[in-house]
Amino acid sequence: MTLTLDPTTRVFPAARYRDVVEDREFPTVREYRARTGRGAVACYPVYAPVELGHAAGMLPVGLFGGGNRIEIAHADSRFQSFICSIVKSTMELGFQEKLDLFDAIMFESICDPARNLASVMARNFPKLRMSYVHLPQNMTSAGTVDYLAAEYRRVLAELASVFGKPVTDDDVRASLTVYNAMRAAMRDLYAFRAERPQDLSTGELYTLARLTTLMDPAEVTPILHEALAAARDRDGRLKDRIKVVLVAAFCEQPPLELIESIEESGCYILDDDFLLGWRLFRRDVPTEGDPFRNLARAYLDDTLHASTKHDLRVPRAKAIVDSARAVGADAAICLIAKFCEPGLFDYALYRKAFDEQSIPHLYLEFEEKTWLYEKIRTEVETFVESMLFT
Amino acid sequence: MTAASEIRYQGEMHLLQKELMAKYYAEATAVAQGNGGKCAHLLIAGNPVELLRAFDVLPIFPEVNVLQIAVRHGSLPLIQKAEELGYASDNCAYVKADIGLFHSGYVTPFATIPKPDVLVCNYVGCNVYLNWFEHLAEMVDAPAMNIDIPFIRSSDGEPSAADLTYVVKQLEELIVLLEKVTGMSLDWAKLTKIVERSARTGQLWAEIKDMTKQRPAPYDAYFDSVTMMAPLYCLRGTEDGLRFFEVAHREMTEQLKKARGPLPEERFRIVIEGPPPWPKLRVFRDMFSRWGAVAVASTYSTVGGLWEFGFRHDPAHPLESIARHMLEANVCNRNFLQRYDQLERYVKEWDADALVIHSVKSCRLFSAGQGDMREHFVRDLDVPTLLIESDIEDPRYFSEAQLRNRIDAFFEALEQRRVTAGKILQGVS
Amino acid sequence: MRYAAGVDVGSTQTKAIIVDEQGTIVARALTDTGAYLVRAAERAFQKALEQAGLEREQVGRVTGTGYGRFKVEFGDAQVTEISCHAKGAWALIPATRTVIDIGGQDTKAIKVSDRGEVLDFAMNDKCAAGSGRFLTNSAEAVGLDVSEMGERSLTAKQPVRLSTVCTIFVESDILTYLSQGKKVDDILAGVHGAIAARTVALVRRVGAESEITMTGGVAKNVGIVNALKEKLAQPVNVSPDSHFTGALGAAIFAMERILAGPAVTAQEVLA
Repeated sequence: MTLTLDPTTRVFPAARYRDVVEDREFPTVREYRARTGRGAVACYPVYAPVELGHAAGMLPVGLFGGGNRIEIAHADSRFQSFICSIVKSTMELGFQEKLDLFDAIMFESICDPARNLASVMARNFPKLRMSYVHLPQNMTSAGTVDYLAAEYRRVLAELASVFGKPVTDDDVRASLTVYNAMRAAMRDLYAFRAERPQDLSTGELYTLARLTTLMDPAEVTPILHEALAAARDRDGRLKDRIKVVLVAAFCEQPPLELIESIEESGCYILDDDFLLGWRLFRRDVPTEGDPFRNLARAYLDDTLHASTKHDLRVPRAKAIVDSARAVGADAAICLIAKFCEPGLFDYALYRKAFDEQSIPHLYLEFEEKTWLYEKIRTEVETFVESMLFT
Repeated sequence: MTAASEIRYQGEMHLLQKELMAKYYAEATAVAQGNGGKCAHLLIAGNPVELLRAFDVLPIFPEVNVLQIAVRHGSLPLIQKAEELGYASDNCAYVKADIGLFHSGYVTPFATIPKPDVLVCNYVGCNVYLNWFEHLAEMVDAPAMNIDIPFIRSSDGEPSAADLTYVVKQLEELIVLLEKVTGMSLDWAKLTKIVERSARTGQLWAEIKDMTKQRPAPYDAYFDSVTMMAPLYCLRGTEDGLRFFEVAHREMTEQLKKARGPLPEERFRIVIEGPPPWPKLRVFRDMFSRWGAVAVASTYSTVGGLWEFGFRHDPAHPLESIARHMLEANVCNRNFLQRYDQLERYVKEWDADALVIHSVKSCRLFSAGQGDMREHFVRDLDVPTLLIESDIEDPRYFSEAQLRNRIDAFFEALEQRRVTAGKILQGVS
Repeated sequence: MRYAAGVDVGSTQTKAIIVDEQGTIVARALTDTGAYLVRAAERAFQKALEQAGLEREQVGRVTGTGYGRFKVEFGDAQVTEISCHAKGAWALIPATRTVIDIGGQDTKAIKVSDRGEVLDFAMNDKCAAGSGRFLTNSAEAVGLDVSEMGERSLTAKQPVRLSTVCTIFVESDILTYLSQGKKVDDILAGVHGAIAARTVALVRRVGAESEITMTGGVAKNVGIVNALKEKLAQPVNVSPDSHFTGALGAAIFAMERILAGPAVTAQEVLA
């Protein structure tokens, strides 16, 4: 299997990587390590400062649980039944030695189970170097940028110690540059999909987005460019579907087939929360000046709306309504991972706001370990029918 | 065995607690009715209550309100009200009860809760706190502030210098906010005095906690500790708060002298991890009392602050010591493995026979991963460990028969082992 | 000869066992529990007495166990079924060090000493996923009696993968598979595989020390026993009296107490 861009193939880029993105043997990472001699750092969702891992000589890799490919045999004994699936399946990946190819792992303070997972994994898998990032939750303090810049320096020092090689500010700037380019390409794809959803399906876009979490940014960006060019060449006919935004699936990820089921049930998805942290910034992070402060400022002031970032400057419900309106959606689908407390809390506010703004909305619950989609299809079809035929 | 449950500790301390809490809630009601000063809503974990007291702002803890309601069997309708509004069955029931209470006019059987003049979200470990106060901020018209407390994440278990600077900075900003809300400027001498009272309270509380190292333990460090926790948070830094701990200390010293414990006979010394099931507290306590099991230490009694390992507020450095309290001197902001260490110290230094983990669905900060904790204590430390489940606030998650069954089985096994050990001893002699 | 009895009041059936001083079973009785637990206990005990040809007075001590143990009003003591399954499994197969019991609401894995004492136990959490009720619901969803499931699943060629062990949602999973034209035996094998996986996770919590003995009524389901053996990669014992393990354990406890004389509570021994 070739993972680099093959100009002879006529297949749309996303289709080539369908199997790669769900493969828990991480073929792109193995290939990258063998080819470059660099390391790899696993990044638990939602947002990790990937530039730091990259500058420290590692490939930052999105670690999105076990999907629907692995059976939980051991992790059930560590985490209770009311804990979401991604926590257990990530633990299980450790037990099944599928994380052995990583040199380090990054966790962030996104929710209570993920926080405890970091500790439990540290105890059970001591060989995996752990870096825990406390992302700030006070966006307005005069001390926050200083704090976060210091936190990023601390994390970089931890990650740099994996290979013992000093990392300069210029190394971090170089990483910012390649990630800026990758995120810009993702922004273009998202904008294109919002405009011409008939020419770029969410299943395809998701595959590409997932690929950005599994490859070096310098290598994945050309694939994104190729995909955008190919999508522009399409000339699809707009079908009789409703236009929706899909919110709340920002951490645990549904199987690709589930996303496709939602589309096939009569929806164009104009915007979504999938893999949010990997394309979090609204614009490029400046590379001039102190790269740590720049990255810190961008996190405070320049991100997409994220459930795990509690920004009292912007009421959450208003933010979600505004973003739905901005892309011209007819309706919203809240796709919430089972037992995901941040997602479930947000839903209570979203529901009220959507009602007040007369935006039709549908609540769907999913678990990553799903391979039967009939129930979700029925729910979405009914919702679509209720909108198209009334 | 049944007789044991009837005699439990009910001394002056309990009466004084009732009296002082009634007074506190009368004050809250006065504020609600516009006859008092201002109030802030804030949260228990590592709370900076000293700063509020310095501005005569009454601290209101939603957690304390809703647990009081749960103890009086009133939580379910409030939870259901919140669920009708779109909150999920998997959301924390403390939050749901508080939201339900808000939509019931904040009226409880024991007080009318005043609406906040300021929302102070002390984000100390618990991520749900952020959601909770974000929701309140959308419901009430009051200035809101998140005090972001960096989680303990370094291998040495200490906050970094940058963490401390950041928290002190935010406390200074809280002072500015409180000055704006109250129209007063901070009286540093007053703050120092309050912090000094907190330091003395911490000293007394730490000594009280030390007393359960004795046999028999003079009180139950889970079920009786919760009596002492309300004054520790709602009244810390006040004269009433200090008086309560002086009385409690005197009384416990007396208990020690008389070698009196909460039960007629202390047959098992246990450490309890996790918050209690407030809606069924008495039933739950009886499940242990009938086996003569007394808690000698508990992690729940350290949610608001961890004093027994040496932390004290420092009147010479009020803001720094409040920041340290929030950062490192409470169980919530310490990482999960630090909790394993805390429990291990309890088992060893307080000489316990077993560990009981009460896993509550609402509070994932406490519960997520307790299966691993059990594994560690059973496999690595050879401590008999029981893991049981219910909830802090939602009575629907309390399955009495299932709990009783597991608790009975656990103590049966402990007792059987004692019989065996006894027989072997007899055989040797 | 002195005799002792154990009465196990379960949610669906009540079992009674009488043993002699050697611990030999002299009578076993079974009755549906129904709504009146006190009467069910009485009925089972009476049946056992008749079978053994004994009078009530000849039985020196009776221990109640199971969820309805406090309803054994004529009993002298109550012991949980966890302790009783351990003791009973050890009495039936003395080399037993690990006990597995899949009950109606509870699944348990028990680590047992060489004297039949509980060293550690693990049970499913509050959620009854993967318990006996899951089996009953699955059987109903394919239109079979629960007793027919085991044999039927043995002919499976391609077991399905269930997306849940939730006792409620399993029915919709099964309906989906039926509508996809999956075979009943493949679905049942999937059900057994899912339960076995969940049970093995519990067994690992206490450590899968051999020999492993499965107790309780579900041990009669050969499909589950096979799935457990496969997942544990170890043999699993099943006694023909597996159904009576809890009652037997209770009877042994009663007999041990008779044989030890009056002063044997832990505190007295330790005093």
